[in-house]
Amino acid sequence: MLKRTIVKLGLASALATTLFAGAASAEGVNMVLLPKFLGILPFDQANRGAEEAHKELGNTGTLQYIGPTPENSVAGQIEMLTTATTQKQAVVMLSNNAGDQIAAAAEAAQAAGTKVVTWDSPIPSGKGESVFVAQVDFGSIGVVMSDMALSLAGGAGEVAVLSATPDAANQNAWIEAMKKTLAEDAKYKDVKLVDVVYGDDQSEKSYNAALALVDKYPNLKVIMAPTTVGIAAAAKAMQDEKLCDKVKVSGLGLPAEMVSYTLNGCAPEFALWSFVDLGYLTYQVSYALATGAIKGDIGDKVKAGRMGEFTIEADPGRAGSKRVLMGPFTVYNKDNVEAASK
Amino acid sequence: MESLRKFHPQTLRLIALALVLVLTVVFFTSQIDNYFSPRMLNRITSSVAVILPIAIGQAIVVMTRNIDLSVGSLVGIVAYVMGGFIGQHQGINPAVFVVLCMLLGAFCGAINGVLVSYGRVPSIIVTLGTLALFRTYLVEYSEARTITTDSLPKWLVDLPSASVVEFGGFDIRVIVGLAVLAALVAWLALTRLRAARQFYAVGSNPDAAVFASINEARVVLIAFMISGAMAGLAGFIFLAKFGNITVVAGLGFELKSVAAVVVGGVNIFGGSGSIVGVVLGTVLVDVIDNSLIRWAVVSEFWREALLGLLIMLAVTADTLMTRSFGRLRGSQN
Repeated sequence: MLKRTIVKLGLASALATTLFAGAASAEGVNMVLLPKFLGILPFDQANRGAEEAHKELGNTGTLQYIGPTPENSVAGQIEMLTTATTQKQAVVMLSNNAGDQIAAAAEAAQAAGTKVVTWDSPIPSGKGESVFVAQVDFGSIGVVMSDMALSLAGGAGEVAVLSATPDAANQNAWIEAMKKTLAEDAKYKDVKLVDVVYGDDQSEKSYNAALALVDKYPNLKVIMAPTTVGIAAAAKAMQDEKLCDKVKVSGLGLPAEMVSYTLNGCAPEFALWSFVDLGYLTYQVSYALATGAIKGDIGDKVKAGRMGEFTIEADPGRAGSKRVLMGPFTVYNKDNVEAASK
Repeated sequence: MESLRKFHPQTLRLIALALVLVLTVVFFTSQIDNYFSPRMLNRITSSVAVILPIAIGQAIVVMTRNIDLSVGSLVGIVAYVMGGFIGQHQGINPAVFVVLCMLLGAFCGAINGVLVSYGRVPSIIVTLGTLALFRTYLVEYSEARTITTDSLPKWLVDLPSASVVEFGGFDIRVIVGLAVLAALVAWLALTRLRAARQFYAVGSNPDAAVFASINEARVVLIAFMISGAMAGLAGFIFLAKFGNITVVAGLGFELKSVAAVVVGGVNIFGGSGSIVGVVLGTVLVDVIDNSLIRWAVVSEFWREALLGLLIMLAVTADTLMTRSFGRLRGSQN
């Protein structure tokens, strides 16, 4: 009861953060950050952001960074979420790779008092999920990809999409958003989206799929890959086959992985958001939920340290679900990619 | 049909497999525009180059009545660890670097081999374990860093587009040359070298092999080391081809290599199989895979299923044809 009073006080007061942190340190909040799988850079960056927030808030509880190995991602995530529930962890922060298959485990976690906050990739049905921390507005990804396609195609021409897996919820939402943008705005009327293919986020499949696109569409001007694995593999395929003058690669990529292709002209322009910030914001939202500072209802406001204030809102892409929207993008090109890749 | 009598059943099997391959190509030529072209040949050969060395190593292990399921993780380890190594040692001689990649693979293969040969643990258990162990080691070792194209020497990044010879739009790439060279060495050894025949001996009848004073344990160990070295070579080609290496490198290659070996007519119960068959099997699986992504009729969701179905059809057709050729031979004797 005391704790709740202090939290309420804290919300009302301008001294919110200090009071609030003081109260929380008496009773730590145990948290788990669960990425799709371990071992790749974006998730590690998100963990760095979460650790930063962990220190800043002075949480005396634990912050665990655990995840399945790549070949065991789906089953591993469900198992780890269940284990975290039995351990009575306060929050699990999940980048979902298991589609709706994880919904049952998430609902069981909520029933046992473990909050489930998703980030990066939500639970498609929203079942068992407290709130989704969205990296960017999924609709705005459509606009950014359309703009890059337009400029790389030189105002007109054929564009194809190279995605990850055919059932990846976030990828599909982004591709739909791109199709919608291309269809609705007259300035894209000469940009033609000819095909959507999949590389399953594996270098080899993505590489072969990119070459198949070039063979199938002799007039293809741009390959748009909204996946960090796909964009790098496609760029290498164009470089290996000496096609960079004809076909440009773009999409969502990591500066460190893309720097050589941006400088040699195979992928002159691509976009991404900060995964460090995404991890930081996810931690802030999750901590506020776990301590009862917010209930997680639409309209609740979260003070997220250095990133400012965020509001929980209805997720326009998933009816009945809630999200916190981070944004915005950074668009990388030859002028800023080298600095960002360090 | 009289002429068929002259052939050994193994040779007939290869002819059947080659026929299936030709039929597959003819079918897709009728379905896909500009399919039968030098460009498509380039696409397929450079795609085969990654998987062929692994399939050769796998075949030798399977010949000894074992299986190596850890090859996918091995490719990942070699591509990642050696990618990091060459980033620090830019000046290293390319040939020395390839040898180092193969040595690292052989070392990991030796771990499998020792456990199977001297630990007496079934190979399917050992390599299922190391499949996970090697991948987990890689996840830990990598600390989530990516080996980036940017950190590699230029010759390595440019290697996939370099050719040995070019004629009329078709070129034999260096990486294809490497894979073919590996196949050639394996083929010569298995058909000409007495020592290499021991792989067949151990696989077809282990007891008889012991009586013939063949050191079974050592032969199996060597088979796993060769499989590791071949996965190391594939890891090198993987590194050159994709440049950006993360911990998922080589994921799922074990299944591909087993598919290629089985389609290629290597007996899963050991004792028989040929490198020519393995090459044909690898090419067939890859042709099907690379054709399906160009064939508008099948949707993404059906591709995997169709690939599995076509592989089963290929194997069945191959078996049926071999059997009827065999009967034909028998009836005329």
